[in-house]
Amino acid sequence: MRPVLRRGLLRGALAAGAVTALAAPAPAPAPAPAPADGPRFHGPHQATILAPPARATAFTAFDVTAAGRRELADLLRTLTDRARFLTTGGTPAPTGITAPPPDSGILGPYVPADGGLGVTLSAGASLFDGRYGLADHAPRLLRTMPVFPDDDLDPAWCHGDLALQLCADSPDTVLHALRDLTRHTRGGMQIRWRLDGHTAPPRPSGTPRNLFGFKDGTSGPDPRDARLMDRLVWTGTDSGEPRWAAGGSYQVVRLIRMLTEFWDRIPLSEQERVIGRNRDTGAPLDGARESDPPRYAHDPEGEAIPLDSHIRLAHPRTPGSEAHRLLRRSYNYDRGVDGNGTLDQGLLFCCYQRDPVRQFTAVQKRLAGEPLTDYVTPFGGGYFFAFPGVRDRADWYGRALLTGTGRTGGST
Amino acid sequence: MFFRSGRPVPVVTGKTPAGRPVPAVADGPPVTDSALAGRRPPRWRVTGTAVAGGAAVVVLAGCGAAPRTPAAGDDRVDASPGRCGHGWRHPRPGTQTFTLHNTSGTAAEVRLTDTRTGAVLGEAEGLAPGAARTLPVRLGAGTYAFVCLGEDTDPVTGPAVRVPGDPRRTRSGPAAVPVSVHDLIPPALAYQRWAGRSMTRLVAATDALRAAVRTGDRAAARSRWLTAHLAYARLGAAYGAFGDAGDALDRTAAGLPRGVRDPGFTGFHRVEHGLWHRERAPGLRRAADRLARDVRALRAGWARTRMDPADLGRRAHEILEDTLRAELTGRTDYGSGSSLATARAHLDATRAVLRPLRPLLRTRYPGLPALDRRLDRAARALDAHAHAYRGTWTPLGRLDRAQRARIDAAVGDLTERLASVAALCDARRTP
Repeated sequence: MRPVLRRGLLRGALAAGAVTALAAPAPAPAPAPAPADGPRFHGPHQATILAPPARATAFTAFDVTAAGRRELADLLRTLTDRARFLTTGGTPAPTGITAPPPDSGILGPYVPADGGLGVTLSAGASLFDGRYGLADHAPRLLRTMPVFPDDDLDPAWCHGDLALQLCADSPDTVLHALRDLTRHTRGGMQIRWRLDGHTAPPRPSGTPRNLFGFKDGTSGPDPRDARLMDRLVWTGTDSGEPRWAAGGSYQVVRLIRMLTEFWDRIPLSEQERVIGRNRDTGAPLDGARESDPPRYAHDPEGEAIPLDSHIRLAHPRTPGSEAHRLLRRSYNYDRGVDGNGTLDQGLLFCCYQRDPVRQFTAVQKRLAGEPLTDYVTPFGGGYFFAFPGVRDRADWYGRALLTGTGRTGGST
Repeated sequence: MFFRSGRPVPVVTGKTPAGRPVPAVADGPPVTDSALAGRRPPRWRVTGTAVAGGAAVVVLAGCGAAPRTPAAGDDRVDASPGRCGHGWRHPRPGTQTFTLHNTSGTAAEVRLTDTRTGAVLGEAEGLAPGAARTLPVRLGAGTYAFVCLGEDTDPVTGPAVRVPGDPRRTRSGPAAVPVSVHDLIPPALAYQRWAGRSMTRLVAATDALRAAVRTGDRAAARSRWLTAHLAYARLGAAYGAFGDAGDALDRTAAGLPRGVRDPGFTGFHRVEHGLWHRERAPGLRRAADRLARDVRALRAGWARTRMDPADLGRRAHEILEDTLRAELTGRTDYGSGSSLATARAHLDATRAVLRPLRPLLRTRYPGLPALDRRLDRAARALDAHAHAYRGTWTPLGRLDRAQRARIDAAVGDLTERLASVAALCDARRTP
């Protein structure tokens, strides 16, 4: 089979320490980059991007139906206001006898400030078509996700004008936020597709496992290293981006079906050679502990870690491959069964980078033809651009895009 | 409505700085889950009070939830007609949560009103004896009073309380003058007359359909089916508005053991299924005859009954909820592909319900002009798929993604706005 992007990218992308600290529900010894009460809302970047995967997520892509630029600005302002309220908590604004209750109530009478909710909003290439006069202001490298040779894409599960990812410690917090945000933006955007995901606790320790039973995300750039994040994750005007896009990040989302039942029927040794790690410990096949770096230089023939194993292709640890690293933020998904009773499970792959061609596409090409492709099938996803952060109470998602590039959108 | 009686409770007292005992605390039966209660009567709440630092601090202890201490200054207010509004000691602007406590022996209803305009900022209905309930409100600078309505007693207005602040900077939350049944009677009568006239046209349309089915001209029958069904859809028969008669006319095969072949499957969709699935003449004739009869029965029943005025606001909202759930998912399409036409007729039906409500809404619902613009937008989005020269509509499944999103978003937007119309037009007792 031909190259497919794999969850294995992850392995190349997540800092083991950070993942461990953040995914663990109990107090973890490692330092956590995000404050205990979840990512803050205001800042130069969307704080959720560097935060480790939470327990629960909903990834939702939307078609924008706003009529014109002014309504698009209203939509983005509303999304900002609601996201700010939902992440910081408080009492929903009373509506008295003039409207139904202002809140779904599923989190109780007050939206807790410590719900750990994270909101990430991003734009797809289609938002920059002719409808809103934004065609000349698209992020420089934003394209519609192409079809890769081993994909089996379902158009109903691809692309979108906007993408909204909600993450929290529990599914009710995620659903509460989703209902609030869609309720307040009805008319302005319409759900196109949605996939829910979850992160497992460490089993028994270390990086959480994916649904193939392997620790997933052991190696990756350290999100606490600000200079590294500037090189690998955040966009800037120095990379030729429009001014409004500084401080954003390219987000690649891939919905990857994993044939978990087929996987369970192959020998452990074969599973481990496909991945390149020991299933029990997560150690590379030439090491003893999860944290051991693989020593490819001592294994040029791939006798310990096969040359076509996933971790070796995804992150070969050569000088040239350092620039290809990306920040993975993936989740497991589980959504029932398909038409013939096969479990429908897999990976909601998500990664962030400064340059999707240099990073995602390059890794994707290296993974071409890897043995893992027999067990996974990408069926959806999209390329998006995560907006720069909302800086303060007066700011909103995309404000610089909509007010700095032509007519200002006002409130209707 | 039903009420559960309270039981004797331990009383907690505290001292105010002046040394006066603080009113007692009652506790009712434990709170049970209310998340799925829908339109059921209000539940009880367990409360307690304590006095700290000179300010009364109310501690809610409900239902195993973690106790929360509201912001200082959230007052516990008496909702009984005898002591209406007593206990509001710390007037302040901003969002706050009162705890309303009915110390009387009968059920009470309580509202917080703006004394200048009579607008209600919040209400609690069906507050049982001994029960307490929270009432979140946002107050701006102004003068307010609680109004307490006991069962079968005249409303009592509590002391007027001035909330300090700059009226331009601290604005109160949304409020409206309540709508009474009395206010709703003229609109309901007007609507009833309009619906009666529409039913006469509907009878003519189903008779014409019946005649076309009898001649065996399938093309003519299909065209007349659409005319008749749209005449019915324009009545806005959402969510059981016409009871069993409406069910017989517009039901789907859901809930019938034999599905579309079930003898209980009657009405427009039964005939539609026959006309678009090449059903033989005898069965189709019987179905069309039955439909024509049922429509006459509907008209006769409508002339005899008096619609509940309180239903009007709810209907303005729920017609399009039905559209969203049934037509825009294709669930009610039995072959004609006319879901968009039906949705468009439901827009007309919604406008027809709104028409007599406008005088009430104009002063109460600032979103009315925006609602009208959005109704027009939804109508345009749907009309784009009508083929006037052929009298047909694009089937739902033929829409591309963007077209469908535009329609779904337009109708979804209307349901959110119309939910406010329904809330405002809920019939309330007026002083």
